[in-house]
Amino acid sequence: MSQYIDVDALWKVLVAGLVAGAGLVALYALGLVGLAAARTQDGTAARPAGVVVAAVCFALVLAGALLGLYVMLAK
Amino acid sequence: MDANTVLLCVVVASALAFDFTNGFHDTANAMATSIATGALRPRIAVALSAVLNFLGAFLSLKVAATIATGIVDSGAITLTVVFAGLLGGLAWNLLTWYFGIPSSSSHALIGGVVGATLIAAGSSAVKGQAIVAKVLVPAVLAPVFAIVVATVGTYLVYRITANVPDRVRGRGFRLGQIGSASLVSLAHGTNDAQKTMGVITLALVANHTINKDAGTPLWVIVACALTIAAGTYIGGWRVIRTLGKGLTEIETPQGFAAEGSSAAVIFAASHFGLPLSTTHVCSGSIMGAGIGRRLAEVRWGLAGRMVLAWLFTLPAAALTGAVVWKGADAIGGAGGVAVVFALAAVLAGALFLAARREPVTHANVNAEWSGRLVPSVPVKEPVA
Repeated sequence: MSQYIDVDALWKVLVAGLVAGAGLVALYALGLVGLAAARTQDGTAARPAGVVVAAVCFALVLAGALLGLYVMLAK
Repeated sequence: MDANTVLLCVVVASALAFDFTNGFHDTANAMATSIATGALRPRIAVALSAVLNFLGAFLSLKVAATIATGIVDSGAITLTVVFAGLLGGLAWNLLTWYFGIPSSSSHALIGGVVGATLIAAGSSAVKGQAIVAKVLVPAVLAPVFAIVVATVGTYLVYRITANVPDRVRGRGFRLGQIGSASLVSLAHGTNDAQKTMGVITLALVANHTINKDAGTPLWVIVACALTIAAGTYIGGWRVIRTLGKGLTEIETPQGFAAEGSSAAVIFAASHFGLPLSTTHVCSGSIMGAGIGRRLAEVRWGLAGRMVLAWLFTLPAAALTGAVVWKGADAIGGAGGVAVVFALAAVLAGALFLAARREPVTHANVNAEWSGRLVPSVPVKEPVA
């Protein structure tokens, strides 16, 4: 069976895909939650910590994307 | 100009033509969701994708991959076989584009080469096990992986941002979508332009124009990058419409999750050496995005037709490749190849004319999906 299917590569791709694909996407969404918390609609009760959360999330997403690019090119 | 030079020129021209169809056939992979959600205006989207494909073609650090490595016996590959394989791939690309079906350009090319090799050198020159391991199994897995990742991603995105005001949400996901679609475009340029570079390099080596150990000549890289970018810019609007509007109705967060999933799976597959087709991954991601959002409808009938086309890609392109090789061989020599090439150009032209009679363009690509690829013009349509 293994001569037809590269099982090793398979589960790596699935795990990496889930972590990077679903994980980074969720992290980006979390960043948006942070942004929304920092700037409430009526301008009151803003939580400045939201900006920090957002910045960290977006930075991680960007880093993840760049890492992905690097990893793909440097195979 | 001797016969060999004529042959080489025809092969290079076919390879670039294939590269061009590869570009416009696959614009949809990266940009269909961004166009459908309105994150990017249609012409801006294809322009951005074209630029990124162009850049992507220069990015890779490794030697251009040779065509169908390990799938057919390299000793059986002659210029005529390469030519027949390219035409098989080209024919399938154009036909599926006409019907607006996303299908894998790599599979079409491999199919064409396999068919041509089968008839030129017999079945012993084709490695059946390699076809199963490198083409068929990945073809089944690619959409499944992408569906899983995109479903999870979409679900999480909607769950996490449920209480985020629309103002932040809409803008944030539009930007995210543009970013993730750009990554897919870049990856496409890197992976797909290389296929054509590999084919042309192979032809040059076979003709002793360049040394076997020589790298890909710069003009080949530039020509392939320009051609795939031009093809992308022309935009395969028919395929874009199927993926962006036909398969499921896409909202911005779904588009973002779908492109993010596509990029991640393509990058991972590319890194771990699993030959997944970009087209299969992207189509799967869009289906997953449809599943992950509650109440979103996936048009499974259309999805089924797409999968059916994927099953036929290899045999259909193989048959065409075999017929082309036989035809060129029967007429004989470089003249035979030239005649078949001219014939193919006429057929392709006819298909383009047929497509222009019922055009899908940047203007009507986002029209409401009514079960047909070509949007009907409401005023002229009689009430049924």
